[in-house]
Amino acid sequence: MDVEIRNRPSFANMLVSLDPDDSIIAEADAMASMSADVQMSTRWNGGMMRAIARRILGGESLFVNEFTAESAGEVVLTQPFPGDIVCLELKGNTMYLQPGAFIACEPGVTLGVGWAGVRSFISGEGLFRLKVSGHGRIWFGAYGAIFTREVEGEYIVDTGHLVAYEPTVAIRVGLAGGIFSSFFSGEGVITRVKGQGKIYMQSRSFGGLAAWTNAHL
Amino acid sequence: MFDSYESFQGGVFHASVPEGRAGASIYLTHSEIVAKTQPEGEQTFSIRLSECQLDLGGASGRMLFCRTPDRSLTIFCEEKGFAQALHQDAMGTLSEQLSNLCMTQRRSENQFRFWVMASAVLLVVLCVGGYYGVLAASRAAVHALPISVDEKIGTIAMQSMDLEEPLDEEHPANQLVAGIVDRLKPHAAIREMDFNVVVVESDEVNAFALPGGEIVVYTGLIEQAESAEQIAGVIAHEMSHATLRHGLQSVSQSLGIIAAIQIMIGDVGGLLALGSELAQESILTGYSRGAETEADLEGARMLHAAHIDPKSMAEFFELLKEQQGDIPGVIAWISTHPQHAQRIENIINYEKTLPKVEYHLLDLDLSAAQQALK
Repeated sequence: MDVEIRNRPSFANMLVSLDPDDSIIAEADAMASMSADVQMSTRWNGGMMRAIARRILGGESLFVNEFTAESAGEVVLTQPFPGDIVCLELKGNTMYLQPGAFIACEPGVTLGVGWAGVRSFISGEGLFRLKVSGHGRIWFGAYGAIFTREVEGEYIVDTGHLVAYEPTVAIRVGLAGGIFSSFFSGEGVITRVKGQGKIYMQSRSFGGLAAWTNAHL
Repeated sequence: MFDSYESFQGGVFHASVPEGRAGASIYLTHSEIVAKTQPEGEQTFSIRLSECQLDLGGASGRMLFCRTPDRSLTIFCEEKGFAQALHQDAMGTLSEQLSNLCMTQRRSENQFRFWVMASAVLLVVLCVGGYYGVLAASRAAVHALPISVDEKIGTIAMQSMDLEEPLDEEHPANQLVAGIVDRLKPHAAIREMDFNVVVVESDEVNAFALPGGEIVVYTGLIEQAESAEQIAGVIAHEMSHATLRHGLQSVSQSLGIIAAIQIMIGDVGGLLALGSELAQESILTGYSRGAETEADLEGARMLHAAHIDPKSMAEFFELLKEQQGDIPGVIAWISTHPQHAQRIENIINYEKTLPKVEYHLLDLDLSAAQQALK
C-alpha cells in the first residue's frame, strides 16, 4: 500500500493506492473519493461498547470504514478542516492523539480511549484522548501546519496546539506567567510538557479561530 | 533466552533505533534490565541495575524510566507490577531510589488534589456569592426605579391576560372589594400607588396582584370567605406584593442572573430568550417563598394599621388548609407557597408584636355579595 499526502499543508489529503488485498481503516466520513471496485465495509469502531466510549469520550466516530481492494484501486481520504496530515509508524509503541485528530490506520493498529486526567481537561485538551498502539502506520490531521519536537526536559505549548504526544511525556497545566500577564498577555493557561518524547503540534488552534470569529460577529 | 524471566511491555529510547524509539518487551534478570525491541530489526538493550537511574513521569505519572548514567539509553515501562518486580529483583540496590520516587509522587498527587479541591470550593463560593450578590443588587435597583415602570408592566400584563367576564362595577361583590381597598389604601407602603381591583367570575379560590397595583379577585374566593375581614386579609396580602414591588424584583433578578451568566460565559442568546420567558412567567404565576412571607407580614401590618384584625388573614389560610389539606413537608419546601401552617403561625406571632389597638369589623355586606353571586 502506497500513501501519498498531497496539497500540504493547507488542504492536505491522502491518496491511498491499494494493492490487491490491501486494506486501510479510516474514520467515518473521511473518504472523499474512491475507485469503483474498492470495497467499503462499515463496522463498529473496535466493538460496540468501545466504539460508544470512543464516540462519547474520544470525539471519534461510532463507526470506522475499512477499504479493501480485491484487485487494485485508490481511495482519497481527508479531514473536515483545513490543515496538514502526517503519517506515523508504530513499532509496538503507543501514541496519544487529541480527540478528532485520527484519520486512518493500517489494520495492525489498535485504537482505544484513555483517561487523560483533570489536568488535561483544565488545559483545554479534553478529559480523554485516543490511544493508538500496535504495529503499523497511522495518519492523523490537525488544523494548520503540523510541527514536531523531541522534548527532553520541559517544553511549553499553548493550550489547543497539542495534537499528539507519546505516553512518556507528562502533560501539566500552568499559567503562562504571573497572574497578571497570564490573563492580559492573551496566553492564559498553557500546557507544560515534561519528560522525554516526541510531541506533535498544530500551527493554528480551534479556540483561536472561534475567538477571532466571535470578535468579528 | 529471556523466556524464563517475567516480561513487561514498555519501550526504549536509543539513538540506534530507527526514529530513536520503539516498543519493547522488558525482562528483569538479577543484575540487568533488558529490553528487546519488537519483530522486525530486533535489537536488545540492557542496563546494569547497579548503574540504573530511576525516574517517574509520563502522561499517566506512573511510568518508570530506567536510564544509564550518560542518559544515552532509556528503558521505560508503565505496567503495574514492574516497580514491584524491580524492587524484588534488585535486592535492595534500587530500594532507596524507588522509595524516594514513591514519596515524591505521593506528595505531588496530594498537592494536586489540594489545588483541585481548593479551586472547586472557590468556584462554588464565587457562584453562590455571585448569585446572592446579583439578587441583592437587583433588589436595590428596583427601588431606584419610579413606580410608573411597575404601572406600565402591570398594564401590559393585564391586557395580555384576557380575563374572562369581569363583573359589572355596580355588582355588590365589586362594591365589597372596592370598599375593602378604600379602607386599606391609606395604609399602603407606597401612597401614590393607584390600586385598581377587578372581580372576575371563576370558581377558583384565588386572587393575584400585578405590578403597579392591578389586583384581580376571583368570585370563588368571595363565595368561600366566611367574613369580609378574611377577604380584606387576602387583598392586603396582594396589595403588599404590589407595594413591595415583587413583580419587578423577580423580573430584575432573572435578568440580573442572565446578565451575570452572559458576562461569565459569553454569548448566550438562547439562554437570554429562555430567561425573558421565565421572567414573564414568574410575574404571572407566582412569587418566591420569601416574597410570599414578606407579603404576609406587610399585609398584616396594613390590616393592623386599618384597625382590621390581622388574624382574619390567618383564618382564611386556615380555611384553605381545611379545604386543600396541608402540603407534605418536602414538596411544600420546594413549592413557592410556604406551608399554610407556617404562614398562619407567622402572622399570629407577628400580630403579637404589634401595639394593641381596637379592631373594628368592616361595615360591608358580605352576604349580599355572596347572594348576588349565586
